[in-house]
Amino acid sequence: MSTQERKKSAFSLTVMRIKAEPFLYLAPFALGILVFTLYPIINVFLMSFKENFNYITKEFSGWGLGNYQYILKDPYFIQAFKNTFFYVFIVIPISTCLSVVIATLLNQKIKFSGLFQTAYFLPMVTSTIAVGLAWKFMFNYRSGVINYLLNCFGFESLNWLQVTTYNFPALCIYGIWAILPFTIILLLSGLQNIDPMYYTAAKVDGAGPIKSFFRITIPLLMPTIFLVLIINTISTFKVFNELFPLFNGPGVSNNLFTVVYYIYYQFRVKMPSKYGYAAAAAVVLFLVIFVFTMIQRWIEKKTKD
Amino acid sequence: MKITIQHLTKRFGATTAVNDFSAEIQSGELIALLGPSGCGKSTMLNMISGILPVTEGKIFFDEEDVTDLSPEKRGIGLVFQNYALYPHMTVLENIAFPLEIKKVKRAEREAKAKEMAKLVHVDMLLDRKPKQLSGGQQQRVAIARALIKNPRVLLLDEPLSNLDARLRIEMREEIRRIQTETKVTTIFVTHDQEEAMSISDHIVLMKDGFLQQVAQPQQLYDEPVNCFVADFLGNPPINKTHGVIQNGQLVLDGGCCVTLDKAAICKEGQKVTLSMRAEAITVDENEKNAKGIIEETYVMGKEVLAYVLLGDYKVRAYIPAEKEFTKGQKVNIGLKKRGVFLFDDETGERLA
Amino acid sequence: MKKAIHHFSFGKLMVYLFLILGGIIMIFPFYWMITGAFKTTLEIQMFPPRWWPASFSLDNFKEAMRMAPFGIYFINSVIAMVSCVTLCTLTTILGSFAFSKLNFPGKHILFGLLLGLMMVPFEMIVITNYRTVIDLGVYNTTLALIIPFTSSIFYMYILKGFFDSIPDSLYQAARVDGCSNWKYLWRVMVPIARPSLVTIILLNAISCWNSFLWPMLAVVNRELRTLPFGLYAFVSEGGAKTELMMAASTIIIIPMIILFLFARKQIVNGVARGGIKG
Repeated sequence: MSTQERKKSAFSLTVMRIKAEPFLYLAPFALGILVFTLYPIINVFLMSFKENFNYITKEFSGWGLGNYQYILKDPYFIQAFKNTFFYVFIVIPISTCLSVVIATLLNQKIKFSGLFQTAYFLPMVTSTIAVGLAWKFMFNYRSGVINYLLNCFGFESLNWLQVTTYNFPALCIYGIWAILPFTIILLLSGLQNIDPMYYTAAKVDGAGPIKSFFRITIPLLMPTIFLVLIINTISTFKVFNELFPLFNGPGVSNNLFTVVYYIYYQFRVKMPSKYGYAAAAAVVLFLVIFVFTMIQRWIEKKTKD
Repeated sequence: MKITIQHLTKRFGATTAVNDFSAEIQSGELIALLGPSGCGKSTMLNMISGILPVTEGKIFFDEEDVTDLSPEKRGIGLVFQNYALYPHMTVLENIAFPLEIKKVKRAEREAKAKEMAKLVHVDMLLDRKPKQLSGGQQQRVAIARALIKNPRVLLLDEPLSNLDARLRIEMREEIRRIQTETKVTTIFVTHDQEEAMSISDHIVLMKDGFLQQVAQPQQLYDEPVNCFVADFLGNPPINKTHGVIQNGQLVLDGGCCVTLDKAAICKEGQKVTLSMRAEAITVDENEKNAKGIIEETYVMGKEVLAYVLLGDYKVRAYIPAEKEFTKGQKVNIGLKKRGVFLFDDETGERLA
Repeated sequence: MKKAIHHFSFGKLMVYLFLILGGIIMIFPFYWMITGAFKTTLEIQMFPPRWWPASFSLDNFKEAMRMAPFGIYFINSVIAMVSCVTLCTLTTILGSFAFSKLNFPGKHILFGLLLGLMMVPFEMIVITNYRTVIDLGVYNTTLALIIPFTSSIFYMYILKGFFDSIPDSLYQAARVDGCSNWKYLWRVMVPIARPSLVTIILLNAISCWNSFLWPMLAVVNRELRTLPFGLYAFVSEGGAKTELMMAASTIIIIPMIILFLFARKQIVNGVARGGIKG
């Protein structure tokens, strides 16, 4: 009887241990997520609805949509939103088209493919700030290599960095260059998943390289292209770091505000900090990203079926 | 070691994978757990190994109740269908791993592992990684790893299904040899009746979670307890036809009358299934009142498999190779005593 | 037939020309940065530009190091990177193992929730995290650079995917042999998952090394800065000369270039598999 009892309790003890064990494995991971991801996002949501919030005293005048009303009327925010949208709509199509072509060419049987890959992918691992400074140097009005090339082809030098008309194009050029490696890598891996059998079949049917590019490569690559479009839209929507090396901030006379810079501006640049406005802008950013993420997941599901 | 299984039941939500299963397995035997896929045989094995908890019932190893014991405490060796060898370890490390967990000293466990490797004939491959081995060699390593702890029971889950046909025959003989040498009680799961028939001492046949019959291979073939067992065993599949008992005679659906001693035991008017093994049917070329027509013949080597048309009904029969029949020839058909069974149509139970 | 061959090789030639031109554009900023780091003040202002420096003296590097403590920034960057990567890899291994092989109530709901959290932009939660490090009393310390990055849903997701691909029979085989979860994780799972681990470690190291926004917020003291923010501060505070800027930039990118040259395949595969910009 007593041995039976002991056996049973030992057994329930192991059950207990088995139940607790997964949580021990999970604990260190969960701690970081709780404190630095879950709590902040809830907090930002709440903060965005607290009017006249003072972060130091944690006092606020009441709940409401005041922060949203303010930022939606704030010319800086409107401008930031416009800039960001324009930036996305210029950088994404150009970089995607270029990447499709480059990835297709890199996917051919070519010599020195390792060398080419190194050249095309290198910008991905290097600091936005450091390389941005190199671009700043290249964009220089008087001694920049880009203006030199323009002169060579008979164009006037442009003041890329100090004139409002030209600093947005400068930002886009840098943005396209910086996003190419990532885009090419994803497209290249998509291309490598296309069965070469299709190309053999097309060749047998007499299709040339141009024809098989448009009739085989593009249609079969379409799911990957969609995926890349969405991921890049999300990442370019967060354009921020690039502003610092090129323009020391949001451009000449603050004409290059972006959504993320606006958030940063409200809680760090502006004195006193306006956490409520920053939080409201962050929620808007989140909503945009949320929509695009949902589209992405929907497409992923669609292509899986 | 003797294994006793009492009223074992396993439910996954609403589905019952194993239903009130009781059996006894004698010490030192090689047992095949046979059945079509999805019949619950792997579930059964996983419950014996302790990987799956049981819903109801008990499992005993000799007199010890192991029902609630975790796998590592049961003293079993387990070989998986895909062998589950650790890809980053060498053959030697793989075999020695169970002892490494038991904190056996390196020299000791390696000596033991080498001994095991010799037993399963992989002693020349000790430094290879699993990827560099053939399927049969991986299988041998997996068996060595299962045996190194001197398990009380060796369990093999579809051990031969990942091998090609020739290796399969070689490996099943190997399993028999290793089992005979070590005398460890062994249970292996298979869906291949030939495999089960050829090497096991007893076969446990399952269907839809229910135990059908436990018997020696030949006995299972000769004395099936029900229609399913008769159907499942044998190649080509058993000939089956339905009929009714009238006046002590069996009247088949087509209207044919069959005189059968066994029919006498049955109740008048009972609906039955007549099952006949191909080798239980005799064919002779007596053209007088011949009812059958040879439709097709297949030469199988020592015998010929003939398809004989009897009205609408087609039977498979083995005929000796020296008798030559031609397609379209009229023949007469007779039945031997052995290999002819009558089953109740409703319950499937054997009547005679 | 002959024409077809001719056409083919002409096409190949165009492919090479296009790729070479594109390749030059892609690496030109690096070339320009590194050569710029060796030019004199005079050379750098020349127009048309000088394509090659007259001499390779390290004066610009020395001058940049004299003007700002890049050596200290470098050490800070290394400390922050190594700590972040070590801690994050540990929590990732344990967390992915729990999600992949262990059973606990609410596992699937919890995992779905984490996938949802994955899309939260860092730029959004930074507002609160900034206050959190102040409230925790670690603001303006090296610790502030590290603790927000001890767990990553993204890397956990990638590693869990790999762990899932390791057959469960391996786990059961080890359990039958009496292997504990802990031992199984370190003796079996981690060695098998080594390629994936290397990938997430590399990706994590790159993103740590290049991170800018958070170090800019989390520390104010000069001696606590990491390289990217140190470089930016050097430029924005001092109005530094271009050739010094280029020298300092070179210091930042060289380690990553070396890393990339040695581990290009793993990094590229990791990016392709993860599908998220690093």
